[in-house]
Amino acid sequence: MNWTAIRSIFVFEMFRFFRTIAQSFLAPVISTSLYFVVFGAAIGSRIEEVEGVSYGAFIVPGLIMLTVITQSISNASFGIYFPKFIGTFFELLAAPISFLEIVIGYVGAAATKALIIGIIILITAFFFVDFTIAHPLAMVAFLILTAISFALFGFILGIWAGNFEQLQIVPLLIVTPLVFLGGSFYSISMLPPIWQTISMFNPVVYLISGFRWAFFDTADVPILTSLLAIGLFTGICLAVIWWIFRTGWRIRE
Amino acid sequence: MQNIVEIRDLKKSYKGGFEALKGVDLDIREGEILALLGPNGAGKTTLISTICGITTSTSGSVTVGGHDIVNDYRAARSMIGLVPQEINLEPFERVINTVRFSRGLFGKRGDDAAIEKVLKQLSLWDKKDSQIRELSGGMKRRVLIAKALSHDPRVLFLDEPTAGVDVELRKDMWDVVAGLKADGVTIILTTHYIEEAEAIADRVGVIAKGELMLVEEKNTLMARMGQKELEVQLTEPISEVPMLLQSDALRLSDDGSALIYTYDTRAERTGITKLLSDVAKEGLVLRDVVTRQSSLEEIFVNLVNNGDNAEDAA
Repeated sequence: MNWTAIRSIFVFEMFRFFRTIAQSFLAPVISTSLYFVVFGAAIGSRIEEVEGVSYGAFIVPGLIMLTVITQSISNASFGIYFPKFIGTFFELLAAPISFLEIVIGYVGAAATKALIIGIIILITAFFFVDFTIAHPLAMVAFLILTAISFALFGFILGIWAGNFEQLQIVPLLIVTPLVFLGGSFYSISMLPPIWQTISMFNPVVYLISGFRWAFFDTADVPILTSLLAIGLFTGICLAVIWWIFRTGWRIRE
Repeated sequence: MQNIVEIRDLKKSYKGGFEALKGVDLDIREGEILALLGPNGAGKTTLISTICGITTSTSGSVTVGGHDIVNDYRAARSMIGLVPQEINLEPFERVINTVRFSRGLFGKRGDDAAIEKVLKQLSLWDKKDSQIRELSGGMKRRVLIAKALSHDPRVLFLDEPTAGVDVELRKDMWDVVAGLKADGVTIILTTHYIEEAEAIADRVGVIAKGELMLVEEKNTLMARMGQKELEVQLTEPISEVPMLLQSDALRLSDDGSALIYTYDTRAERTGITKLLSDVAKEGLVLRDVVTRQSSLEEIFVNLVNNGDNAEDAA
Protein backbone atom coordinates (compact mmCIF):
# COMPACT_ATOMS: atom_id res chain seq x y z
CA MET A 1 0.00 0.00 0.00
CA ASN A 2 1.25 3.43 -0.97
CA TRP A 3 -0.02 5.26 2.13
CA THR A 4 1.86 8.42 1.25
CA ALA A 5 -0.09 8.65 -1.99
CA ILE A 6 -3.40 7.99 -0.23
CA ARG A 7 -2.62 10.69 2.29
CA SER A 8 -1.66 13.10 -0.50
CA ILE A 9 -4.98 12.60 -2.26
CA PHE A 10 -6.86 12.90 1.04
CA VAL A 11 -5.08 16.09 2.12
CA PHE A 12 -5.41 17.64 -1.36
CA GLU A 13 -9.16 16.96 -1.39
CA MET A 14 -9.63 18.28 2.13
CA PHE A 15 -7.80 21.46 1.14
CA ARG A 16 -10.31 21.96 -1.65
CA PHE A 17 -13.07 21.56 0.93
CA PHE A 18 -11.64 24.21 3.23
CA ARG A 19 -10.84 26.53 0.33
CA THR A 20 -14.49 26.51 -0.70
CA ILE A 21 -15.66 26.62 2.88
CA ALA A 22 -18.69 28.84 2.28
CA GLN A 23 -20.04 26.60 -0.44
CA SER A 24 -19.21 23.21 1.01
CA PHE A 25 -19.90 23.99 4.61
CA LEU A 26 -22.19 26.94 5.25
CA ALA A 27 -24.70 26.05 2.54
CA PRO A 28 -25.81 22.71 4.03
CA VAL A 29 -25.87 24.16 7.54
CA ILE A 30 -28.07 27.07 6.50
CA SER A 31 -30.47 24.94 4.48
CA THR A 32 -30.83 22.46 7.34
CA SER A 33 -31.42 25.27 9.82
CA LEU A 34 -34.23 26.40 7.53
CA TYR A 35 -35.76 22.94 7.70
CA PHE A 36 -35.69 23.13 11.49
CA VAL A 37 -37.26 26.58 11.52
CA VAL A 38 -39.98 25.72 9.00
CA PHE A 39 -40.78 22.07 9.79
CA GLY A 40 -39.64 21.92 13.37
CA ALA A 41 -40.84 25.19 14.82
CA ALA A 42 -43.51 26.62 12.49
CA ILE A 43 -45.34 23.51 11.25
CA GLY A 44 -44.02 21.04 13.79
CA SER A 45 -45.73 22.77 16.70
CA ARG A 46 -49.08 21.91 15.08
CA ILE A 47 -48.20 18.26 14.52
CA GLU A 48 -48.72 15.64 17.19
CA GLU A 49 -45.87 13.59 18.54
CA VAL A 50 -44.68 10.86 16.19
CA GLU A 51 -43.92 7.55 17.89
CA GLY A 52 -43.62 9.35 21.20
CA VAL A 53 -41.14 11.95 19.92
CA SER A 54 -41.88 15.62 19.23
CA TYR A 55 -41.98 16.31 15.48
CA GLY A 56 -39.08 18.76 15.68
CA ALA A 57 -36.85 16.06 17.20
CA PHE A 58 -38.31 13.33 14.98
CA ILE A 59 -36.96 14.91 11.78
CA VAL A 60 -33.40 15.39 13.13
CA PRO A 61 -32.04 11.93 12.15
CA GLY A 62 -33.72 12.13 8.73
CA LEU A 63 -32.28 15.55 8.04
CA ILE A 64 -28.78 14.49 9.04
CA MET A 65 -29.13 11.40 6.83
CA LEU A 66 -30.45 13.49 3.96
CA THR A 67 -27.44 15.79 4.15
CA VAL A 68 -24.85 13.06 4.69
CA ILE A 69 -26.19 11.03 1.76
CA THR A 70 -26.33 13.93 -0.69
CA GLN A 71 -23.01 15.37 0.47
CA SER A 72 -21.20 12.01 0.27
CA ILE A 73 -22.44 11.51 -3.27
CA SER A 74 -21.72 15.01 -4.51
CA ASN A 75 -18.29 15.24 -2.84
CA ALA A 76 -17.08 11.91 -4.14
CA SER A 77 -18.54 12.25 -7.63
CA PHE A 78 -17.21 15.78 -8.05
CA GLY A 79 -13.86 14.86 -6.49
CA ILE A 80 -13.12 12.20 -9.11
CA TYR A 81 -14.97 13.83 -12.01
CA PHE A 82 -13.17 17.18 -11.69
CA PRO A 83 -9.69 15.77 -12.51
CA LYS A 84 -11.26 14.02 -15.49
CA PHE A 85 -12.91 17.25 -16.59
CA ILE A 86 -9.83 19.49 -16.36
CA GLY A 87 -7.48 16.75 -17.54
CA THR A 88 -5.34 16.21 -14.44
CA PHE A 89 -6.58 12.64 -14.20
CA PHE A 90 -3.54 11.48 -16.21
CA GLU A 91 -1.45 12.16 -13.14
CA LEU A 92 -3.32 9.53 -11.14
CA LEU A 93 -2.93 7.02 -13.98
CA ALA A 94 0.79 7.66 -14.39
CA ALA A 95 1.53 7.49 -10.66
CA PRO A 96 2.77 4.26 -9.07
CA ILE A 97 -0.52 3.73 -7.26
CA SER A 98 -3.25 1.14 -7.57
CA PHE A 99 -6.90 1.91 -8.25
CA LEU A 100 -7.69 0.78 -4.71
CA GLU A 101 -5.46 3.53 -3.35
CA ILE A 102 -7.17 6.10 -5.55
CA VAL A 103 -10.56 4.91 -4.24
CA ILE A 104 -9.47 5.05 -0.59
CA GLY A 105 -8.06 8.56 -1.04
CA TYR A 106 -11.07 10.07 -2.78
CA VAL A 107 -13.82 8.14 -0.99
CA GLY A 108 -12.12 8.69 2.35
CA ALA A 109 -11.96 12.45 1.80
CA ALA A 110 -15.55 12.65 0.52
CA ALA A 111 -16.90 10.60 3.44
CA THR A 112 -14.91 12.68 5.93
CA LYS A 113 -16.33 15.93 4.54
CA ALA A 114 -19.87 14.52 4.70
CA LEU A 115 -19.29 13.36 8.27
CA ILE A 116 -18.02 16.77 9.33
CA ILE A 117 -21.12 18.39 7.86
CA GLY A 118 -23.38 15.75 9.46
CA ILE A 119 -21.89 16.38 12.88
CA ILE A 120 -22.21 20.15 12.46
CA ILE A 121 -25.89 19.70 11.60
CA LEU A 122 -26.33 17.53 14.67
CA ILE A 123 -24.82 20.28 16.79
CA THR A 124 -27.00 22.89 15.04
CA ALA A 125 -30.06 20.75 15.82
CA PHE A 126 -29.37 20.99 19.54
CA PHE A 127 -29.94 24.74 19.25
CA PHE A 128 -33.43 24.27 17.79
CA VAL A 129 -34.91 21.19 19.48
CA ASP A 130 -34.55 19.13 22.65
CA PHE A 131 -33.57 15.51 22.18
CA THR A 132 -31.24 12.87 23.55
CA ILE A 133 -29.40 10.13 21.66
CA ALA A 134 -30.31 6.64 22.92
CA HIS A 135 -27.43 4.75 21.29
CA PRO A 136 -24.60 7.24 20.56
CA LEU A 137 -22.08 4.63 19.39
CA ALA A 138 -24.56 3.01 17.03
CA MET A 139 -25.46 6.50 15.77
CA VAL A 140 -21.83 7.27 14.92
CA ALA A 141 -21.32 3.85 13.35
CA PHE A 142 -24.42 4.31 11.18
CA LEU A 143 -23.27 7.73 10.12
CA ILE A 144 -19.80 6.51 9.14
CA LEU A 145 -21.16 3.48 7.26
CA THR A 146 -23.65 5.65 5.37
CA ALA A 147 -21.03 8.26 4.49
CA ILE A 148 -18.64 5.62 3.15
CA SER A 149 -21.21 3.64 1.20
CA PHE A 150 -22.70 6.70 -0.52
CA ALA A 151 -19.24 8.14 -1.18
CA LEU A 152 -18.48 4.84 -2.96
CA PHE A 153 -21.67 5.30 -4.97
CA GLY A 154 -20.65 8.90 -5.75
CA PHE A 155 -17.23 7.71 -6.87
CA ILE A 156 -18.85 5.32 -9.37
CA LEU A 157 -21.05 8.18 -10.55
CA GLY A 158 -18.02 10.43 -11.05
CA ILE A 159 -16.19 7.76 -13.06
CA TRP A 160 -19.28 7.14 -15.19
CA ALA A 161 -20.22 10.78 -15.83
CA GLY A 162 -19.15 12.19 -19.17
CA ASN A 163 -20.32 15.75 -18.43
CA PHE A 164 -21.64 17.92 -15.65
CA GLU A 165 -25.25 17.20 -16.56
CA GLN A 166 -24.78 13.47 -16.05
CA LEU A 167 -23.04 14.24 -12.81
CA GLN A 168 -26.13 16.06 -11.55
CA ILE A 169 -28.88 13.96 -13.04
CA VAL A 170 -28.59 10.84 -10.88
CA PRO A 171 -28.64 12.74 -7.56
CA LEU A 172 -31.50 14.94 -8.80
CA LEU A 173 -33.73 12.32 -10.38
CA ILE A 174 -33.02 9.26 -8.27
CA VAL A 175 -31.28 10.02 -5.00
CA THR A 176 -33.21 13.11 -3.84
CA PRO A 177 -36.66 11.51 -4.37
CA LEU A 178 -35.54 8.32 -2.64
CA VAL A 179 -34.24 10.28 0.31
CA PHE A 180 -37.34 12.47 0.60
CA LEU A 181 -39.62 9.44 0.28
CA GLY A 182 -37.42 7.47 2.67
CA GLY A 183 -39.14 8.77 5.78
CA SER A 184 -36.98 11.80 6.57
CA PHE A 185 -40.06 13.80 7.52
CA TYR A 186 -42.54 11.09 8.47
CA SER A 187 -42.82 7.58 9.82
CA ILE A 188 -43.52 4.87 7.24
CA SER A 189 -46.29 3.61 9.57
CA MET A 190 -48.20 6.85 8.86
CA LEU A 191 -48.63 5.86 5.19
CA PRO A 192 -51.53 3.86 3.71
CA PRO A 193 -50.67 0.11 3.54
CA ILE A 194 -49.98 0.08 -0.21
CA TRP A 195 -47.42 2.89 0.12
CA GLN A 196 -45.88 1.16 3.09
CA THR A 197 -45.23 -1.85 0.85
CA ILE A 198 -43.81 0.31 -1.94
CA SER A 199 -41.58 2.09 0.57
CA MET A 200 -39.98 -1.23 1.50
CA PHE A 201 -38.26 -1.16 -1.92
CA ASN A 202 -36.61 2.15 -1.09
CA PRO A 203 -33.19 1.40 0.41
CA VAL A 204 -33.06 4.79 2.11
CA VAL A 205 -36.01 3.78 4.33
CA TYR A 206 -33.78 1.22 6.05
CA LEU A 207 -31.02 3.74 6.61
CA ILE A 208 -33.21 6.43 8.09
CA SER A 209 -35.11 3.91 10.17
CA GLY A 210 -31.89 2.49 11.58
CA PHE A 211 -30.47 5.91 12.20
CA ARG A 212 -33.64 7.01 13.95
CA TRP A 213 -33.47 3.89 16.12
CA ALA A 214 -30.01 5.02 17.27
CA PHE A 215 -31.58 8.31 18.38
CA PHE A 216 -34.96 7.35 19.82
CA ASP A 217 -34.93 3.56 20.15
CA THR A 218 -37.95 3.28 17.80
CA ALA A 219 -37.81 2.16 14.20
CA ASP A 220 -39.97 1.39 11.15
CA VAL A 221 -38.01 -1.77 10.37
CA PRO A 222 -35.90 -4.01 12.63
CA ILE A 223 -32.40 -2.65 13.20
CA LEU A 224 -30.79 -5.82 11.81
CA THR A 225 -32.68 -5.38 8.58
CA SER A 226 -31.34 -1.82 8.39
CA LEU A 227 -27.78 -3.05 8.90
CA LEU A 228 -28.28 -5.74 6.30
CA ALA A 229 -29.61 -3.19 3.79
CA ILE A 230 -26.70 -0.80 4.17
CA GLY A 231 -24.28 -3.72 4.13
CA LEU A 232 -25.83 -4.92 0.86
CA PHE A 233 -25.63 -1.44 -0.69
CA THR A 234 -21.97 -1.10 0.31
CA GLY A 235 -21.29 -4.57 -1.08
CA ILE A 236 -22.85 -3.71 -4.44
CA CYS A 237 -20.85 -0.48 -4.70
CA LEU A 238 -17.63 -2.31 -3.84
CA ALA A 239 -18.40 -4.96 -6.45
CA VAL A 240 -18.96 -2.31 -9.13
CA ILE A 241 -15.74 -0.54 -8.17
CA TRP A 242 -13.88 -3.84 -8.27
CA TRP A 243 -15.26 -4.40 -11.78
CA ILE A 244 -14.20 -0.89 -12.86
CA PHE A 245 -10.78 -1.63 -11.44
CA ARG A 246 -10.55 -4.92 -13.36
CA THR A 247 -11.71 -3.59 -16.70
CA GLY A 248 -10.44 -0.01 -16.59
CA TRP A 249 -13.92 1.10 -17.67
CA ARG A 250 -13.96 4.86 -18.42
CA ILE A 251 -10.46 5.10 -16.95
CA ARG A 252 -7.85 3.50 -19.20
CA GLU A 253 -8.51 3.00 -22.88
CA MET B 1 25.64 3.04 -22.75
CA GLN B 2 22.93 1.11 -20.94
CA ASN B 3 19.33 1.04 -22.07
CA ILE B 4 16.92 2.53 -19.57
CA VAL B 5 13.76 1.96 -21.61
CA GLU B 6 13.24 -1.07 -23.85
CA ILE B 7 10.19 -1.26 -26.08
CA ARG B 8 9.46 -4.52 -27.89
CA ASP B 9 6.89 -4.94 -30.66
CA LEU B 10 4.49 -2.53 -28.99
CA LYS B 11 1.04 -2.48 -30.60
CA LYS B 12 -2.01 -0.47 -29.78
CA SER B 13 -5.37 -0.68 -31.53
CA TYR B 14 -8.41 1.26 -30.52
CA LYS B 15 -11.97 0.06 -30.63
CA GLY B 16 -13.11 0.38 -34.22
CA GLY B 17 -9.81 -1.03 -35.44
CA PHE B 18 -7.64 2.08 -35.67
CA GLU B 19 -4.03 1.00 -35.21
CA ALA B 20 -2.21 3.77 -33.37
CA LEU B 21 1.01 1.76 -32.92
CA LYS B 22 1.98 -0.98 -35.34
CA GLY B 23 4.73 -2.84 -33.53
CA VAL B 24 7.27 -0.33 -32.27
CA ASP B 25 10.74 -1.49 -31.21
CA LEU B 26 12.91 1.09 -29.51
CA ASP B 27 15.76 1.20 -27.01
CA ILE B 28 16.30 4.41 -25.11
CA ARG B 29 19.75 4.87 -23.65
CA GLU B 30 20.38 6.13 -20.18
CA GLY B 31 21.21 9.83 -20.07
CA GLU B 32 20.38 10.67 -23.67
CA ILE B 33 17.94 13.13 -25.16
CA LEU B 34 15.81 11.37 -27.74
CA ALA B 35 13.57 13.44 -29.97
CA LEU B 36 10.57 11.71 -31.50
CA LEU B 37 9.59 13.54 -34.64
CA GLY B 38 6.37 13.02 -36.45
CA PRO B 39 3.29 14.72 -37.84
CA ASN B 40 0.09 15.04 -35.83
CA GLY B 41 -1.62 11.71 -35.32
CA ALA B 42 1.56 9.73 -35.96
CA GLY B 43 1.33 7.90 -32.65
CA LYS B 44 3.86 9.89 -30.60
CA THR B 45 1.48 10.65 -27.75
CA THR B 46 0.05 7.12 -27.79
CA LEU B 47 3.57 5.73 -27.46
CA ILE B 48 4.35 7.96 -24.49
CA SER B 49 0.94 7.39 -22.87
CA THR B 50 1.42 3.65 -23.08
CA ILE B 51 4.86 3.74 -21.48
CA CYS B 52 3.56 5.98 -18.69
CA GLY B 53 0.51 3.85 -17.91
CA ILE B 54 -2.22 6.15 -19.18
CA THR B 55 -3.33 3.79 -21.92
CA THR B 56 -2.89 0.05 -22.11
CA SER B 57 -1.15 -1.66 -25.00
CA THR B 58 -2.77 -4.31 -27.17
CA SER B 59 0.41 -6.39 -27.25
CA GLY B 60 4.15 -6.12 -26.83
CA SER B 61 6.20 -5.14 -23.83
CA VAL B 62 7.94 -2.16 -22.27
CA THR B 63 10.47 -2.14 -19.46
CA VAL B 64 11.75 0.91 -17.63
CA GLY B 65 14.97 0.37 -15.68
CA GLY B 66 14.36 -3.37 -16.17
CA HIS B 67 10.88 -3.20 -14.62
CA ASP B 68 7.92 -4.30 -16.72
CA ILE B 69 5.35 -1.48 -16.95
CA VAL B 70 2.44 -3.87 -16.32
CA ASN B 71 3.65 -6.53 -13.89
CA ASP B 72 5.97 -4.23 -11.97
CA TYR B 73 4.17 -0.95 -12.57
CA ARG B 74 5.03 0.61 -9.23
CA ALA B 75 8.79 0.30 -9.74
CA ALA B 76 8.54 1.28 -13.43
CA ARG B 77 6.33 4.34 -12.93
CA SER B 78 8.37 5.54 -9.94
CA MET B 79 11.22 6.19 -12.37
CA ILE B 80 9.11 8.18 -14.84
CA GLY B 81 8.07 11.80 -14.99
CA LEU B 82 5.53 12.90 -17.60
CA VAL B 83 4.87 16.37 -18.94
CA PRO B 84 1.69 16.19 -21.02
CA GLN B 85 0.98 18.14 -24.16
CA GLU B 86 -2.08 19.94 -22.83
CA ILE B 87 -1.77 22.33 -19.93
CA ASN B 88 -3.85 20.38 -17.44
CA LEU B 89 -3.74 22.06 -14.06
CA GLU B 90 -6.21 22.89 -11.32
CA PRO B 91 -6.73 26.62 -11.82
CA PHE B 92 -7.38 27.50 -8.18
CA GLU B 93 -4.57 25.48 -6.70
CA ARG B 94 -1.35 27.10 -5.50
CA VAL B 95 1.84 26.21 -7.34
CA ILE B 96 3.63 24.71 -4.35
CA ASN B 97 0.62 22.61 -3.29
CA THR B 98 0.15 21.04 -6.69
CA VAL B 99 3.87 20.17 -6.84
CA ARG B 100 3.68 18.69 -3.32
CA PHE B 101 0.63 16.67 -4.38
CA SER B 102 2.51 15.18 -7.33
CA ARG B 103 5.44 14.20 -5.14
CA GLY B 104 3.08 12.55 -2.66
CA LEU B 105 1.29 10.62 -5.40
CA PHE B 106 4.60 8.99 -6.23
CA GLY B 107 4.92 7.85 -2.65
CA LYS B 108 7.69 10.25 -1.73
CA ARG B 109 7.46 11.90 1.65
CA GLY B 110 7.06 15.66 1.82
CA ASP B 111 10.47 17.28 1.51
CA ASP B 112 10.50 21.07 1.46
CA ALA B 113 14.13 21.18 0.33
CA ALA B 114 13.40 18.94 -2.67
CA ILE B 115 10.34 21.01 -3.64
CA GLU B 116 12.32 24.22 -3.30
CA LYS B 117 15.09 22.84 -5.49
CA VAL B 118 12.67 21.90 -8.27
CA LEU B 119 10.82 25.22 -8.13
CA LYS B 120 14.08 27.18 -8.21
CA GLN B 121 15.40 25.05 -11.06
CA LEU B 122 12.38 26.13 -13.10
CA SER B 123 12.42 29.77 -11.90
CA LEU B 124 9.08 29.27 -10.16
CA TRP B 125 10.20 29.91 -6.60
CA ASP B 126 8.85 33.47 -6.42
CA LYS B 127 5.53 32.21 -7.84
CA LYS B 128 5.18 29.34 -5.39
CA ASP B 129 2.16 30.82 -3.61
CA SER B 130 0.41 32.04 -6.76
CA GLN B 131 -2.76 30.39 -7.94
CA ILE B 132 -2.19 28.61 -11.21
CA ARG B 133 -4.81 30.67 -13.05
CA GLU B 134 -2.69 33.78 -12.38
CA LEU B 135 0.28 32.40 -14.32
CA SER B 136 1.18 32.93 -17.97
CA GLY B 137 1.10 30.02 -20.40
CA GLY B 138 4.87 29.58 -20.26
CA MET B 139 4.83 29.55 -16.47
CA LYS B 140 2.04 26.97 -16.44
CA ARG B 141 4.17 24.74 -18.62
CA ARG B 142 6.97 25.13 -16.11
CA VAL B 143 4.58 24.08 -13.34
CA LEU B 144 3.81 20.93 -15.34
CA ILE B 145 7.53 20.20 -15.58
CA ALA B 146 7.99 20.91 -11.86
CA LYS B 147 5.21 18.43 -11.06
CA ALA B 148 6.82 15.83 -13.30
CA LEU B 149 10.21 16.37 -11.65
CA SER B 150 8.87 16.51 -8.08
CA HIS B 151 9.68 12.87 -7.37
CA ASP B 152 13.17 12.88 -8.94
CA PRO B 153 12.42 10.72 -11.99
CA ARG B 154 15.23 9.07 -13.93
CA VAL B 155 13.31 9.30 -17.20
CA LEU B 156 11.36 12.36 -18.27
CA PHE B 157 8.83 12.37 -21.08
CA LEU B 158 8.04 15.75 -22.59
CA ASP B 159 5.09 15.64 -24.96
CA GLU B 160 5.39 18.59 -27.33
CA PRO B 161 6.97 20.86 -24.73
CA THR B 162 7.22 23.82 -27.05
CA ALA B 163 4.00 23.54 -29.06
CA GLY B 164 2.43 26.98 -29.24
CA VAL B 165 5.28 28.56 -27.29
CA ASP B 166 7.03 31.72 -28.50
CA VAL B 167 10.64 31.65 -29.70
CA GLU B 168 12.16 33.06 -26.53
CA LEU B 169 10.34 30.64 -24.29
CA ARG B 170 11.31 27.79 -26.57
CA LYS B 171 15.00 28.62 -26.11
CA ASP B 172 14.30 28.82 -22.40
CA MET B 173 12.75 25.37 -22.43
CA TRP B 174 15.75 23.99 -24.30
CA ASP B 175 18.00 25.37 -21.55
CA VAL B 176 15.86 23.63 -18.94
CA VAL B 177 16.15 20.36 -20.86
CA ALA B 178 19.92 20.76 -21.19
CA GLY B 179 20.15 21.35 -17.44
CA LEU B 180 18.18 18.16 -16.74
CA LYS B 181 20.41 16.17 -19.03
CA ALA B 182 23.42 17.49 -17.09
CA ASP B 183 21.76 16.09 -13.96
CA GLY B 184 21.68 12.67 -15.61
CA VAL B 185 17.97 12.57 -16.47
CA THR B 186 17.07 10.65 -19.62
CA ILE B 187 14.76 12.78 -21.73
CA ILE B 188 12.34 11.74 -24.43
CA LEU B 189 10.57 14.58 -26.14
CA THR B 190 8.10 14.59 -28.96
CA THR B 191 7.95 17.43 -31.37
CA HIS B 192 7.00 18.31 -34.88
CA TYR B 193 9.59 21.06 -35.04
CA ILE B 194 12.64 19.74 -36.80
CA GLU B 195 14.84 22.55 -35.55
CA GLU B 196 13.97 21.52 -32.02
CA ALA B 197 15.26 18.01 -32.59
CA GLU B 198 18.37 19.47 -34.25
CA ALA B 199 18.98 21.87 -31.38
CA ILE B 200 18.82 19.59 -28.38
CA ALA B 201 18.56 15.90 -29.25
CA ASP B 202 21.32 13.30 -29.15
CA ARG B 203 19.28 10.92 -31.26
CA VAL B 204 16.28 11.43 -33.46
CA GLY B 205 13.45 8.99 -34.10
CA VAL B 206 10.85 9.53 -36.78
CA ILE B 207 7.34 8.20 -36.25
CA ALA B 208 4.66 8.15 -38.90
CA LYS B 209 1.42 6.20 -39.08
CA GLY B 210 2.16 4.28 -35.93
CA GLU B 211 5.54 3.06 -37.09
CA LEU B 212 9.04 4.03 -36.09
CA MET B 213 10.59 4.78 -39.49
CA LEU B 214 14.10 5.55 -38.30
CA VAL B 215 16.19 6.13 -35.19
CA GLU B 216 19.59 7.61 -35.72
CA GLU B 217 22.29 9.67 -34.06
CA LYS B 218 21.50 13.28 -34.78
CA ASN B 219 25.09 13.84 -35.95
CA THR B 220 24.77 11.07 -38.54
CA LEU B 221 21.62 12.69 -39.78
CA MET B 222 23.31 16.08 -39.80
CA ALA B 223 26.22 14.64 -41.77
CA ARG B 224 23.73 13.39 -44.29
CA MET B 225 22.30 16.87 -44.34
CA GLY B 226 25.74 18.36 -45.05
CA GLN B 227 25.92 16.33 -48.27
CA LYS B 228 25.06 18.27 -51.35
CA GLU B 229 24.53 17.18 -54.91
CA LEU B 230 25.54 19.12 -57.98
CA GLU B 231 23.76 18.13 -61.14
CA VAL B 232 25.46 19.17 -64.36
CA GLN B 233 22.91 18.86 -67.17
CA LEU B 234 24.31 18.32 -70.65
CA THR B 235 22.90 19.34 -74.04
CA GLU B 236 23.90 15.98 -75.54
CA PRO B 237 23.50 12.75 -73.51
CA ILE B 238 26.68 10.69 -73.09
CA SER B 239 27.03 6.95 -72.58
CA GLU B 240 29.84 6.91 -70.02
CA VAL B 241 31.75 9.25 -67.74
CA PRO B 242 34.80 10.63 -69.61
CA MET B 243 38.21 9.50 -68.33
CA LEU B 244 39.25 12.86 -66.96
CA LEU B 245 36.11 13.16 -64.82
CA GLN B 246 36.05 9.68 -63.31
CA SER B 247 35.87 9.68 -59.50
CA ASP B 248 33.90 8.04 -56.70
CA ALA B 249 31.94 11.21 -56.14
CA LEU B 250 30.63 11.42 -59.67
CA ARG B 251 28.04 9.32 -61.42
CA LEU B 252 26.04 9.54 -64.61
CA SER B 253 22.28 9.91 -64.50
CA ASP B 254 20.27 6.96 -65.84
CA ASP B 255 19.48 8.62 -69.17
CA GLY B 256 23.04 9.94 -69.54
CA SER B 257 21.89 13.53 -69.77
CA ALA B 258 23.46 14.70 -66.50
CA LEU B 259 26.51 14.24 -64.31
CA ILE B 260 25.73 14.04 -60.61
CA TYR B 261 28.48 15.10 -58.24
CA THR B 262 28.20 14.58 -54.47
CA TYR B 263 30.26 16.81 -52.19
CA ASP B 264 30.51 17.94 -48.59
CA THR B 265 29.68 21.60 -48.09
CA ARG B 266 31.72 21.64 -44.90
CA ALA B 267 34.93 20.43 -46.60
CA GLU B 268 37.78 22.86 -47.28
CA ARG B 269 37.71 22.12 -50.98
CA THR B 270 34.51 21.02 -52.61
CA GLY B 271 36.14 20.18 -55.93
CA ILE B 272 33.53 22.08 -57.89
CA THR B 273 36.01 24.39 -59.67
CA LYS B 274 38.10 21.45 -60.85
CA LEU B 275 34.99 19.55 -61.92
CA LEU B 276 33.70 22.41 -64.04
CA SER B 277 37.07 23.06 -65.68
CA ASP B 278 37.41 19.31 -66.44
CA VAL B 279 33.94 19.34 -67.97
CA ALA B 280 35.06 22.19 -70.24
CA LYS B 281 38.31 20.34 -71.12
CA GLU B 282 36.29 17.28 -72.16
CA GLY B 283 34.33 19.55 -74.51
CA LEU B 284 30.95 18.87 -72.89
CA VAL B 285 28.35 21.61 -73.38
CA LEU B 286 26.30 22.56 -70.31
CA ARG B 287 22.58 23.15 -70.43
CA ASP B 288 22.08 23.92 -66.73
CA VAL B 289 23.58 23.45 -63.29
CA VAL B 290 21.41 22.50 -60.29
CA THR B 291 22.38 21.92 -56.64
CA ARG B 292 20.38 19.92 -54.10
CA GLN B 293 20.61 19.49 -50.36
CA SER B 294 18.83 16.82 -48.39
CA SER B 295 17.77 18.44 -45.13
CA LEU B 296 16.47 16.64 -42.08
CA GLU B 297 13.14 18.05 -43.06
CA GLU B 298 13.46 16.46 -46.49
CA ILE B 299 14.47 13.12 -45.02
CA PHE B 300 11.53 13.39 -42.70
CA VAL B 301 9.06 14.35 -45.42
CA ASN B 302 10.34 11.53 -47.65
CA LEU B 303 9.92 8.97 -44.94
CA VAL B 304 6.44 10.12 -44.15
CA ASN B 305 5.39 10.34 -47.77
CA ASN B 306 6.83 6.93 -48.60
CA GLY B 307 4.61 5.61 -45.88
CA ASP B 308 1.69 7.34 -47.57
CA ASN B 309 2.54 5.94 -50.99
CA ALA B 310 2.90 2.43 -49.64
CA GLU B 311 -0.53 2.77 -48.11
CA ASP B 312 -2.03 4.21 -51.30
CA ALA B 313 -0.57 1.30 -53.29
CA ALA B 314 -2.12 -1.13 -50.84
